[in-house]
Amino acid sequence: MEGSKNTTGTILEEGESSTASQESPSQRRIFKVIVLGDSNVGKTCLTIRFCGGDFPQKPEATIGVDFRDKDVTVDGESIKLQLWDTAGQERFRKSMVQHYYRNVHAVIFVYDVTKLSSFENLPTWVDECDRHSLSSNVPRVLVANKCDITDRRVVSTNMGQKFAEHNDMPFFETSAKSSEVGESVSNIFLYIAKKLKAQRPHLHLRAGFGGISGSGRTSVRKLRLKSSGLRGFEPEKTPKSKCAGGCFS
Amino acid sequence: MSTNNKAHNFHEEDKDQPPGFHRNNASGFELHKRAKLVAIHKALQSDPVDVASLRKYAISKGGLLTDEIRRKAWPKLLNVNPFESIAKDANIKEHRDYDQVVLDVNRSLKRFPPGMKDDEREVLQDQLVEVIVRVLCENNQLHYYQGYHDICVTFQLVVGKEATVSLVNKLSTHHLRDFMDSTMDRTKHMLNYLLPIINKSKPALHDFLQRSEVGTVFALAWLITWYGHVLNSFRSIVRLYDFFLACHPLMPVYLAAAIVLYREEDIMQCECDMPFVHSLLSKIPQNLPLEKLIVDAGDLFVQYQPSQLAKEARLYYKESTSLTTYQSLEESSRIQRPDSVLRRLTRRGQGHASAAGRPQDSNRVIKVAVWAISMGIGAAALTVLNNALEFWG
Repeated sequence: MEGSKNTTGTILEEGESSTASQESPSQRRIFKVIVLGDSNVGKTCLTIRFCGGDFPQKPEATIGVDFRDKDVTVDGESIKLQLWDTAGQERFRKSMVQHYYRNVHAVIFVYDVTKLSSFENLPTWVDECDRHSLSSNVPRVLVANKCDITDRRVVSTNMGQKFAEHNDMPFFETSAKSSEVGESVSNIFLYIAKKLKAQRPHLHLRAGFGGISGSGRTSVRKLRLKSSGLRGFEPEKTPKSKCAGGCFS
Repeated sequence: MSTNNKAHNFHEEDKDQPPGFHRNNASGFELHKRAKLVAIHKALQSDPVDVASLRKYAISKGGLLTDEIRRKAWPKLLNVNPFESIAKDANIKEHRDYDQVVLDVNRSLKRFPPGMKDDEREVLQDQLVEVIVRVLCENNQLHYYQGYHDICVTFQLVVGKEATVSLVNKLSTHHLRDFMDSTMDRTKHMLNYLLPIINKSKPALHDFLQRSEVGTVFALAWLITWYGHVLNSFRSIVRLYDFFLACHPLMPVYLAAAIVLYREEDIMQCECDMPFVHSLLSKIPQNLPLEKLIVDAGDLFVQYQPSQLAKEARLYYKESTSLTTYQSLEESSRIQRPDSVLRRLTRRGQGHASAAGRPQDSNRVIKVAVWAISMGIGAAALTVLNNALEFWG
């Protein structure tokens, strides 16, 4: 099974189900990551690939929100990443997806390097995030997908890099389809897991869903406007050694 | 029949029993099916077509049984003449939703029969884009949503391109109308019926779902695609389409409630937290006992009617076009004119014995069948009630 109809398999690869965290609820921390971007940029394929699945041969449009999760080990600690894979069509984001912005711990913006409009719409997605009062220390990353399609590429590395710098996000170029190109999909998510782990050493299970959205809208706005000044708030930089495939933090 | 109107027999017809169709023994099933086929043909051949009976057969066990019957009966359920298609619009590429439609149809490979040749499928995909955008061009007030293509492809694979245009055109201004606003607010309102239905039936389950803050988005794709996006079996999907075409626009929500109620045990064992509950609920089991759940959904509808729920839960019944236009659709379909084309087609199938049903199924199902017919005109309901037993097969 591939695609959005059945994603159970992606969770089971480590011998767990989505409810299996009951095994050690007091030990495993859970982080909620939302994946945003235009329709057909590859959000679903990226999350399926990360969760251990093959690249879907028959990918389908996501309707509403799909959920996947994956356990990763960072410096000896097992962490669960919950990925909320959202529909790209605007109507869903306006009416339905809001619910899923709540208490989110990290955001992944995705665009398709073969489709200029998906890049040009990135500010809309960033604004949308800001409107949902995400705390300023919620990590955001920018992912340029479909880098394997070199002959139809219209968004250059430089364009993506500049946007990422302007918005103070680490930048990854990748391909959900080919592991030969750019940064590997799992490294992108591992980067996020590492960052979250370092950033929130005292976070307890579940408490994360209620206690993170401390900073209000105003402070987010301020920090966004002074993006160059925001860097000082980052607890750690993207490790350069991990950036062989095009990470420009 | 023109080439365009030719429906494709891509899918295995019901040589076996429909999904979830539990038979006691082979001969019992065959007897039931044969009797029902005869009864359906009789309803189709009466002049005017006996839509009340068709509704009942579409709801009752096994639905309309074959795609051949569906090609004739679905237009009757919607009071549509499949031979009167809407005009072709030369500028479909200029429609505001054209690009999104193409993206979604290109990614709908899974909806076509496995083993179909690529070039054959690509022709159908091009047709599907045309069907969708033609309906959108015809109704400028309608906005495409992701999932609409899942509805359209189901019709396309059963009734063919041109009849799909006619059927979906009607459906889009009735059952699907609320989904096609510029926003999804009214779709959300329809989903707001889900938890109150569960509350009526199993308050403890309702409280659990509320506590988990799971919301209703897990059922969004179920509702707006009529389960076409989430079920793998094409036969199951068309069986449900029989049911929904014969019923009130909120019936997919009642079926969602029936599914959630059916899974009560699994849900209550789940960690009471949104991601876990959402994850469990959104993955719809592929082996659901559909016929039982259809009966359950009908039961829920009879017990907790939308208007009653709307009052109690402060839901937005009157603001829904899908809901408020249903009664007129239902009434108009009851008084259809004789259809000479249909008669000519169905006359070929004549010669069967007269319809015979077996009055041995549960009262609950009969209640549902009766409900389907009584939504429009109260007086007719009693007549049907007296005859329901003899029709049920």
